[in-house]
Amino acid sequence: MGSTDERVVAVIMVGGPTKGTRFRPLSLNIPKPLFPLAGQPMVHHPISACKKIPNLAQIFLIGFYDEREFALYVSSISNELRVPVRYLREDKPHGSAGGLYNFRDLIMEDSPSHIFLLNCDVCCSFPLPEMLESHRRYGGMGTILVIKVSAESANQFGELVADPATNELLHYTEKPETFVSDRINCGVYIFTPDIFTAIQGVSTQRKDRANLRRLSSFDAIDSATSRNLPADFVRLDQDILSPLAGKKQFYTYESMDFWEQIKTPGMSLKCSALYLAQFRFTSPHLLASGDGTKSAAISGDVYIHPSAKVHPTAKIGPNVSISANARIGAGARLISCIILDDVEIKENAVVIHAIVGWKSSIGRWSRVQASGDYNAKLGVTILGESVSVEDEVVVVNSIVLPNKTLNVSVQEEIIL
Amino acid sequence: MKALILVGGFGTRLRPLTLSVPKPLVDFANKPMILHQIEALKAIGVSEVVLAINYQPEVMLNFLKDFETKLGIKITCSQETEPLGTAGPLALARDKLVDESGEPFFVLNSDVISEYPLKEMIAFHKSHGGEASIMVTKVDEPSKYGVVVMEESTGKVEKFVEKPKLFVGNKINAGIYLLNPSVLDRIELRPTSIEKEVFPKIAAEKKLYAMVLPGFWMDVGQPRDYITGLRLYLDSLKKKSPSMLATGSHIVGNVIVDETAKIGEGCLIGPDVAIGPGCVVESGVRLSRCTVMRGVRIKKHACISGSIIGWHSTVGKWARVENMTILGEDVHVCDEIYSNGGVVLPHKEIKASILKPEIVM
Repeated sequence: MGSTDERVVAVIMVGGPTKGTRFRPLSLNIPKPLFPLAGQPMVHHPISACKKIPNLAQIFLIGFYDEREFALYVSSISNELRVPVRYLREDKPHGSAGGLYNFRDLIMEDSPSHIFLLNCDVCCSFPLPEMLESHRRYGGMGTILVIKVSAESANQFGELVADPATNELLHYTEKPETFVSDRINCGVYIFTPDIFTAIQGVSTQRKDRANLRRLSSFDAIDSATSRNLPADFVRLDQDILSPLAGKKQFYTYESMDFWEQIKTPGMSLKCSALYLAQFRFTSPHLLASGDGTKSAAISGDVYIHPSAKVHPTAKIGPNVSISANARIGAGARLISCIILDDVEIKENAVVIHAIVGWKSSIGRWSRVQASGDYNAKLGVTILGESVSVEDEVVVVNSIVLPNKTLNVSVQEEIIL
Repeated sequence: MKALILVGGFGTRLRPLTLSVPKPLVDFANKPMILHQIEALKAIGVSEVVLAINYQPEVMLNFLKDFETKLGIKITCSQETEPLGTAGPLALARDKLVDESGEPFFVLNSDVISEYPLKEMIAFHKSHGGEASIMVTKVDEPSKYGVVVMEESTGKVEKFVEKPKLFVGNKINAGIYLLNPSVLDRIELRPTSIEKEVFPKIAAEKKLYAMVLPGFWMDVGQPRDYITGLRLYLDSLKKKSPSMLATGSHIVGNVIVDETAKIGEGCLIGPDVAIGPGCVVESGVRLSRCTVMRGVRIKKHACISGSIIGWHSTVGKWARVENMTILGEDVHVCDEIYSNGGVVLPHKEIKASILKPEIVM
C-alpha cells in the first residue's frame, strides 16, 4: 500500500448550462465553473488542490457544457500544473455516479489505484492527501469528506452518521425532513476502482426493473420516484451511499476547515473571501499589498490581476478580487467585492458587497452596495456584463441584468 | 421705523436643527435666518426690531446682542406667556411699536425667505393711503393655502378664502405686512389670528391693499422647503450680487462658500450649495444641493446631495449622504456609511448605513 508506482486520478464534476440557474445573471455570460473566486476560476481551486496528491496521473473535468467553453482553460491549466487535464463532455446529465461510470474506460486508462471525485461547486480547503492517507488506512471502497454544521442548517445537505471510533459510514440520507445528524457530505470523495462495480449494480437493477415494468403493470405500487429514472442516471448519494452505508464499504474523513456550497452569486462572494484567506498559507504571492503611497492602500485579503490598473489614492479591501484589465480610478473605495475583467471604476466611486460584471462601468461618486447578507436574495448587489452606472447614482441591494444603463438610483430591485 | 418679527414657538418642523438653536437662529445661506430679515429691515432705515417670541428669548437676545452694535439697530423681545396666534403678539408689543411719529410698522414672519422689497412696499403703502399693506405671492397650488382675492389693478383686497376648492385666485399671503398704528386698535390681547380675524375686517372697510411680491418667496420652516429655498435664494443672489458666489473649475452652478472654509483638491461643488465658516471639505468630495453648516468636516471622497449637515458634524471618507438627510449638531457619520434620508438628532455617531428614510434618535 502507498507504493510509489500507484497512480491516482481526479475527476471534477462541473455540471452544465441547464444546471446552476441560481447563479444567474453571472452564468448568462460564463460557465459557472469558470467564474472567478479570489481571482481564479472556481474550478481552479479544486484543480490546484489535486496537484498536492502524490502520484497524480491525470485530472478529468466531466460536464455537459460545450467543449469549446473549457478548451482554453484546460490547455492553459495543463501547462501550468504540468498534469494532463481533460474535459469530458457528457451528452446529457447522468448524475454524479453515472457521469463517472460513463467515462470509466478513459478514467481507468492509466490503471489508477484511487479515484478522487470532487464537485466543482463546493468551496473548501480540499484536504486531499490527508483523505487519501485515511482512506488507505480504512481499507474501504470509498471515503467521504464530511463536516460538522449547525443542526438547523444540516437538512439542506446530505446528512450522515459515522461510527465515532472507526469512522465507518453507518447511515446516509439526502436532505431529510427531520434532523438525523449534524455531519454532512461535502461532495468530495475518494474511491477505489470497485466503485464502478457498485454503480453498475445500480444501473443493472434499474434496467431489470424497467423490463419488469414493461411486462407487468406494477407502476402503481412502484411509487418511489428514483425507480422512474433512466438506467444510466445514477446518483452517488441516494443510489450508492444510502444503500451501502453500514456495510463496511464507506468511511468518512472529517474536515476541520471551512466548507460552503456555491449555489448563488452571493455565496460566491463569501467563498471568494474564504479562498483569499487561504491564499495567506497556500499562495501568499497572489495577495496584494500597499500603503497608499506608491500603490493603493490595501486592507485585508485582496487579489489584483497584474494587468489591472489601480490608482494609488484608491483604497481596496478587505475581500476584494480585481480581474484582468480592470481600471480603478482615483479615490475609489472597494470593500468585499468581485470586479470582473475590463470593468472601469471611476473617481471616488464606492463599491461594497457587490459583484461588478465584465466591461461594466461605475461613474464618479456613484455607489454600488448591498447589506452583505450572503444568503439573502438581494444581499449582494450584482451587475451583469456591460452595465453602466452613471455618475453619482446609488445602487443598493439590487441585481441588474446585462447591458443596462442606470441613470437613477435603485434599491431592492431586479432590473431586467 | 419699527418692525415686529413673529418668531413663534419651538420650530418643531425644522427639528433636529431646532433642538440646538431656536429656529430663527438656524443658518440659512451661511447666516441665521432672522438676520436675513433684520438686515433687510436695517437697510430701509428701521431702527428698532421687536421679536415676538415664546421660547428661549434669552438665547435669542444673547446671540443678537453682537448684531445690535454691528448693525446699529435696537433689538428687543416681547415674550408671550401663552401662544397668542399671529395677531395677539402685536397687541402685546403695542407699547414698543407705537410712538409719537405715527409711522407705519413692518410685521414679518420669521419662517419666510424672500428678496424683501421693503422699500417698494413703503412706496406702495403711501400710494394707496389705506390702513394696511400685505405682500402676496403667486403659487402653483392655491388650494393648499389661504388665497387673497384682490382687485388686480389697484391691489385692493376683497376677501380671504381659506384653502379654496374652486379657483378664486393664485395669490397667497406672503407673511410680510406694513401696518398703520391704528391697526393695533383692532387687536385684542388674546390668542387671535391676523389672517382670519383682523385682515378680513380691514378688507371689508376697503382699507387693505396687497402688493405682489417680486422675486422668490419660500416658507423655509421645514427641511424640504429649506433646501428648495436655498436654490431660490442663490438664484436671486446670482442676479443681484453675483460677486458673492464662489467661482472656479471645481464649482458648478450657484455656490456660496464662507471665506474661512477650506476646500481640497479634486472636489466638485454645486449646484445650490452653502458651505459655512470654518468648514473643511477634503479632497475628492462631491457636494450638490446641500447646506454644510459652521465647523463641519467632510472627509475625502464623500458625496453629499439634497441634505443639511448640522453644525460641527463630520461626514466620513467615502460616505454617501443624500435624499433629505438632516444631520443635527455634532453628528458623526463614519467612513463608508450610506445615509438615504436619515434624520439624525444631535450628538450621534452613525456606524451603520441608513438605507431608507428614518429618524435616528
